Amino acid sequence: MNKDKRPLLEVKDLTTYFHTEDGLVKAVDGISYEVFPGETLGIVGESGCGKSVNALSIMRLLESNADVGGSISFEGQSLPELSERKMRGIRGNDIAMIFQEPMTALNPVFTVGNQIEEAIILHQNKSQDEAHKMAIDMLRKVGIPEPTKRVDEYPHELSGGMRQRAMIAMALSCNPRVLIADEPTTALDVTIQAQILELMKSLQDEYGMSIIMITHDLGVIAEVADRVVVMYAGKVVEYADAVTLFKNPKHPYTWGLLNAIPRLDIEQDTLYNIPGVVPDPLHFPEGCKFNTRCTFCEERCKKEEPELIEVEKNHYARCFFIEKVEKEKAKTKAGENL
Amino acid sequence: MSVKKTEFKRMIRRYFKIPTNVLGTLLLIIFIIIAILAPVICPPKAGADPFKIPIATWSAAPVAPTADHPFGIIGGRDIFYGVIWGTRSAFKIGLVVSLISALIGVVVGSISSYFGGWVDEIMMRITDIFMSIPFLVAAMIMTTILGKGLDKVMVALIIFGWMRVARLIRGNILQAKSEQYVLAAKALGIPDWKIIVKHILPNTIFPVLVQVSMRIGSLVITAAALSFLGVGAEPGYADWGTILSYSRNWMTELDKSWFAILYPGTAMVLFVLAWNLVGDGLRDTFDPKMK
Amino acid sequence: MINQKDKEILLEVKDMVKYFPIRAGVFKRVVAHVKAVDGVNFNVFKGETFGLVGESGCGKTTAGMTLMRLYDATAGKASFKGHGDLLQLKGTALRNMRKDIQMIFQDPYSSLNPRMRVKNIIAEGMLTHNLAKGSEVNDKVADLMQKVGLSTDHMYRFPHEFSGGQRQRIGIARALAVNPDMIVCDEAVSALDVSIQAQVINLLNDIQEEFGLTYIFIAHDLAVVKHISDRIAVMYLGKIVEMTDKHSLFDNPLHPYTKALISAIPIPDPTYDKKRVILEGDVPSPINPPSGCRFHTRCPIAQDICSKEDPVFEEKKDGHFVACHFVE
Repeated sequence: MNKDKRPLLEVKDLTTYFHTEDGLVKAVDGISYEVFPGETLGIVGESGCGKSVNALSIMRLLESNADVGGSISFEGQSLPELSERKMRGIRGNDIAMIFQEPMTALNPVFTVGNQIEEAIILHQNKSQDEAHKMAIDMLRKVGIPEPTKRVDEYPHELSGGMRQRAMIAMALSCNPRVLIADEPTTALDVTIQAQILELMKSLQDEYGMSIIMITHDLGVIAEVADRVVVMYAGKVVEYADAVTLFKNPKHPYTWGLLNAIPRLDIEQDTLYNIPGVVPDPLHFPEGCKFNTRCTFCEERCKKEEPELIEVEKNHYARCFFIEKVEKEKAKTKAGENL
Repeated sequence: MSVKKTEFKRMIRRYFKIPTNVLGTLLLIIFIIIAILAPVICPPKAGADPFKIPIATWSAAPVAPTADHPFGIIGGRDIFYGVIWGTRSAFKIGLVVSLISALIGVVVGSISSYFGGWVDEIMMRITDIFMSIPFLVAAMIMTTILGKGLDKVMVALIIFGWMRVARLIRGNILQAKSEQYVLAAKALGIPDWKIIVKHILPNTIFPVLVQVSMRIGSLVITAAALSFLGVGAEPGYADWGTILSYSRNWMTELDKSWFAILYPGTAMVLFVLAWNLVGDGLRDTFDPKMK
Repeated sequence: MINQKDKEILLEVKDMVKYFPIRAGVFKRVVAHVKAVDGVNFNVFKGETFGLVGESGCGKTTAGMTLMRLYDATAGKASFKGHGDLLQLKGTALRNMRKDIQMIFQDPYSSLNPRMRVKNIIAEGMLTHNLAKGSEVNDKVADLMQKVGLSTDHMYRFPHEFSGGQRQRIGIARALAVNPDMIVCDEAVSALDVSIQAQVINLLNDIQEEFGLTYIFIAHDLAVVKHISDRIAVMYLGKIVEMTDKHSLFDNPLHPYTKALISAIPIPDPTYDKKRVILEGDVPSPINPPSGCRFHTRCPIAQDICSKEDPVFEEKKDGHFVACHFVE
């Protein structure tokens, strides 16, 4: 891993709490990770785990009822301490974001070209004409056919895949150092998803940017991520490089997830069943947040919350009983599955 | 079923959490009490129609409030009596008109959206035609044809008041038709009429109830406007608008007739406010997103 | 899922077509059609799970809805054992058919009437078809709830008090309540989280044997379809391009679209070596599908003939059907 290079983005003990009329919602409750130059960090978890809120917290795009704590440091600068003006200079310029639903992320009353030009004019001080040319170039680069025609079209005139490409063009127009992609392909068909992931990979090679890929799809993570953060109930439960995570998961949740998904490459008899449901963020259980669903849960888990500890080199897990997962894995290896 | 009770209790608690809802409900209760106690507060003369404001003086000039006539006299009539009994008229107009026009609207809107096709087209065009006629003008023409009197005002208001509800319920039904639970009911073999009654209407009727309660206030104002213009209730009728119509003659001399405008006017404003606040509160309470 | 297929045919679909008219102008004249399903042929055997898979716009959901008579077919025939041609049924015959084919819907948040209690949601079908009376109803509902993994204490609750996965279970119980022979699962797990998906998929498998059910499983997620189905049909722009048992489909896909589809799916294993076939362009519009073979605009091996002649959907090997001019 890149322990010798300095991280581009460093998140330490990030917390994001929402004050709602029903109580305090701890959407993100103390997460830490690093993003190094040129790599892809995957953040994976199911709905409600806090992965998207975490991205919005970095970009400072949350509303005033959100309480963001902890440190977010980009190229040495502390983001939460920047003035709004300085932050705007970073958004879209140094750190860009793309979202899940291209139809709602693109403004329906402006042409695609306009929206790309807006970012260019704002951050790079170019004239309208220059920006227009650059927008066409960007559209061509992201693989949109007939870019000179498309640049003047409105979002609803493009297909879902095209819109997502347009959004990528918008995000990359100012050559950001970090691209945050929040479920960018979830709403797309599988063949279009493949196109978009290929595109992102080739653009990453060309621009040398880092990508934070946020998704619930473990397949996508395996495709693109170098290192992975697994989130559950607002916390990081496992953190390792991709190969290690998939081949040698330590946390019961990660292990459970990997066994719960139907696989094209493996024969499965029954899918592993993670019992129960994700807990209500207003009523998190005492102790380990996963204890209500964990097959290896013991008394200690119900009272104490485990820390995130380094269980092997550069592999972190938040669990008291990872050896139980090891035993289970050995059992199934002896059987037919993983 | 205890679950239904707790659901109901939760809605009531949610409703009363908001101070404007409490205010609106309180105002309404005060008006209801006044309306019920009208015969006690202002006992009518024996044998007379209680809705005719008794003549207090034969002079034409307005008389400022006194101990005997706390709200003053205008057009020879006791304003206090008019305001108190006018509360009953206000409720009568408001409730009767809005409920009947809502009923017509629900029937038209349901049939229109259920049958669809040509039926829908024709009914909606008829609705459009009614909607395009300026309400006040239409109501005035109707009362000119039908004659003066509060009940004729109500008929006019009903004839020209059902369209909004029809459109509202039609829109809701069209949307509900494509909900998956309606498809599921169809897939189970449930007959169409039952689907409308059991599945669609209960999920679409609440916005209608909200609209109905919000209309009550504005209906009273419209009725008052008609009375003010002289095409509403008969002269001397115990109705806020009628009192105001007397002050028409004295509009240039407000120092002499301010009480004839202030008291019935205040009553109207508070009445409309009460219904608006309650309507708002109901809408928020019934909003399923507030679960 | 059972291994020994009962070769008895439960449903036979022939040349089923569903077009949606597009109207324009003051007089709402029909100016074009969305050719959602454009002639599909397949059989479903009793006791099996028949997977129908494809991307958005391929017509799989429309096919399911047409079979359920929630849409009326434009053309074609669908013989369902004991009921004759499904697509032509009317009146009482149609109502009776509804007992035997049920549907589980995609959206757990809109497939249950928010103002009805769970007990009534499940019992409604039973009561409509007179399958139970009086106190029997409660017992049957309780039994069904247990079978799908719900606590009977919750019988009088409202849908919003349940999670997405639990709502899907309620939907399953509702479908089971009328004792159907066949259930069409229309993207039944697509809207659920991964860990909940697994629960519901396992449930569907468990009850299949117990209740003697045949499934048509419609989904866009090939991995899920592979797990649960016995045979699979792949749809593209209103037509079936390939159909066979699941092992043959994945071990030996014949149609270029199937190959691209399979290779496009990301595998949760970073070390998996995979030859990727990336399709160019977008899915064409079903209003104006390409001439000849609909896939030719994106096909890596398209030739001249592909834009002129629509390939015939026929059996190339035992039970393996393809529609392509260039099958090896």
